[in-house]
Amino acid sequence: MNLELNEDQRLLFETVDQAVGRGYANGGRAGATGTELGWSDQVWQTLGELGLTGLTVSADHDGAGAGPVEVYASLEAMGKHAAAEPLLDGVFLPSWLIAGLGTDDQVKQLLPVLAAGGATIAVAHAEPGRPWGLAPTVTAAADGSLTGVKSPVRGADQADKFLVTAVDDAGETGVYLVEATAEGITRADGRAADWGHTSQVEFVGTPATRLGSAEADAAAALRSAFARARVAVTGEAIGLMETGLAMTVEYLKTRKQFGVPLATFQVLVHRAVDVYARVELARSMALWATAAVEAHDNGGEVDLAATADDAFVFVCDAATAVAEEIIQLHGGIGMTYESEVAHHAARLIAITESFGGVSSARRRAVASESLLRAPSALLNNADAVTA
Amino acid sequence: MDLELSKEDLAFRDGLREVFLGAVPEDVRRRTALGETTREDIVTSQRILNEHGLAVPHWPQEWGGRGWSPTQSHLYSSELQRAGVPQPLAFNVSMVGPIIAEFGSEEQKRTFLPATANLDIWWSQGFSEPEAGSDLAGLRTTARRDGDQYVLNGQKTWTTLGQYGDWMFVLARTDPDAPRKQQGLSFLLLDLNTPGIERRPIKLIDGSAEVNEFFFDEVRIPAENLVGEENKGWSYAKFLLGNERNGIAQVGTGQRIYADLAAASGAIPTEDGLLGHDPQFRTALHTAKTTLLALEATQLRVTAASENGKASPVSSLLKMEGTQALQELIKLRMRAAGSDGMLTGTGEQVRAGDAASVAATQYLNQRKLSIFGGSNEIQRGVIAKTILGL
Repeated sequence: MNLELNEDQRLLFETVDQAVGRGYANGGRAGATGTELGWSDQVWQTLGELGLTGLTVSADHDGAGAGPVEVYASLEAMGKHAAAEPLLDGVFLPSWLIAGLGTDDQVKQLLPVLAAGGATIAVAHAEPGRPWGLAPTVTAAADGSLTGVKSPVRGADQADKFLVTAVDDAGETGVYLVEATAEGITRADGRAADWGHTSQVEFVGTPATRLGSAEADAAAALRSAFARARVAVTGEAIGLMETGLAMTVEYLKTRKQFGVPLATFQVLVHRAVDVYARVELARSMALWATAAVEAHDNGGEVDLAATADDAFVFVCDAATAVAEEIIQLHGGIGMTYESEVAHHAARLIAITESFGGVSSARRRAVASESLLRAPSALLNNADAVTA
Repeated sequence: MDLELSKEDLAFRDGLREVFLGAVPEDVRRRTALGETTREDIVTSQRILNEHGLAVPHWPQEWGGRGWSPTQSHLYSSELQRAGVPQPLAFNVSMVGPIIAEFGSEEQKRTFLPATANLDIWWSQGFSEPEAGSDLAGLRTTARRDGDQYVLNGQKTWTTLGQYGDWMFVLARTDPDAPRKQQGLSFLLLDLNTPGIERRPIKLIDGSAEVNEFFFDEVRIPAENLVGEENKGWSYAKFLLGNERNGIAQVGTGQRIYADLAAASGAIPTEDGLLGHDPQFRTALHTAKTTLLALEATQLRVTAASENGKASPVSSLLKMEGTQALQELIKLRMRAAGSDGMLTGTGEQVRAGDAASVAATQYLNQRKLSIFGGSNEIQRGVIAKTILGL
């Protein structure tokens, strides 16, 4: 039984931490999201050189073939700096979807490009005013061409390709590969609450290719890829919360009111302790879910989607509470665009609405059959409670 | 990372289950799961555990300790809680026992340790006073040296299960002129049959009387019942605080209540069907589930860290969050019982042994969890100082 990073994984965390730290030294997330790219080109190049873009791609396709713990380590480091580079949205998530669903040719063609950091792919599933769990309204015609609206689509303005969920003539949900330069695409670019570049994308008879064969179970591949993404993003949330807490503690020590440091006031100190408690429990939850995904990948009996929902719900509730508190404890300063803490809080909130959002995850978890069994963190100790 | 117990750990766990589920009587465990443990239950259970070498596993091996690894200790606590086995009396096994073993004379060890392990002596804790709760060092009870005796005067309170106490370990002021209030305290062992002691139960919010107050009027304690050195009592009391914190989050207890509640919800009717299908109930249950998972994972991280010889400063966190989670679960059990929790005290006549019948009184009783053992506000203070540097 072990829930900690090993030495190599710790080193990976430090490597990413240093790379992003250097790139974000001037301007932070505000500077990065304010560029035309929406992230720091310098940091992105460095991450590519370090092999981070190939982290989730198998060695056969020029990647590192690393597992969920490496994903956790790298994303916690990204979160520590509120980094905006699209590792998860633009590379990891599409790589999981392609590896899980794509034909051999598609996998061979797409994964090496992602691994090399030469392209990002935006996964477009959400639709305006439509619950995440319902089948898409975007339709795929017999020739594969797509019609309909996707929104929000993160990183759409820089993506080389889209992976779009759509329903075919038979009513089956599939995933379709679209070139960003294809005809019949109208993009309305905006931003998310965390200032990440985000768009509404409309397709009208846009040429597309189905990802995977017509017989492949696209719904299952989507479920699995999004479950991995939900677990992965908890790692980023831990990094964000940890820094948010550290900045808040520092602020309480240094900021003076009524002639004394804020840390003199017990009411503020206890609220900071509650933030710490939230972060520490959330960290345990994120590490536990990461270990469960690893066990799943090693052939263990783990319900990937249910694990991801449990962890995502718990970490998102913590993220919301922490975001609220780190703003509140900074007072007016925490409301300003100039303050770093504001960007950490905003990114935490955006995470709670990522990959279907916390409400949708909670609904699935609450409906799950496993709810009526006593929980056990250890996989081979689940028959714990005997009458 | 690894979420499995090793083969050896599994075998160890199975050995524990054999005793917990096989040797400890079922009715004892059922009452414990409901929070209705009797004095006899605690004595019976601890003697069975002691017979199997499981009452005082964390004592020095010479006196019955087992020299377990952190993982084994963790399994012991969690399996004990999950099985609904009464915790061996904390005053005996976690408090006075380890202090006598560490600081007592050879004579004291021989006299007290075996009887303490077997619960032949029921110990009570004489620490808190009306003016010294969280601020324990402010205590005023005095022990005046008079020849080969100490003469005790003062008052102790919040003495849990003191109505059963045979002996009490007392922290008393032996040097009223010491420069700091932490100095000048001594740790004394008091036979509660000594003349000059008055014992009064304190009736609690749920109608029970599990705590007591004690009044001492010129109570004479033989000087050989001083543990360690005179005026060093504070350091012995502090030794306790740094002592065994295994199972402090009570995750096993939470899992036990969770399992019972989830099972019961399949038979509790609502206007729309069964409680087990009620979205409101299930949402609350899911919050409890994820909190228990996060707590257990935290406990596992602490355990794994101490396997590697690393101390973890999170025991305050586990106490604070663990008690809060348990209180939330117990509240959910009360909500599940509804008005069925509002009739109690009928003895054997109505619904004896029914979880619903004690759900509300247990809810009130368990408000103590966030108060005793260092209130959760004290824990926040500890975290602020030792972890956050605030």
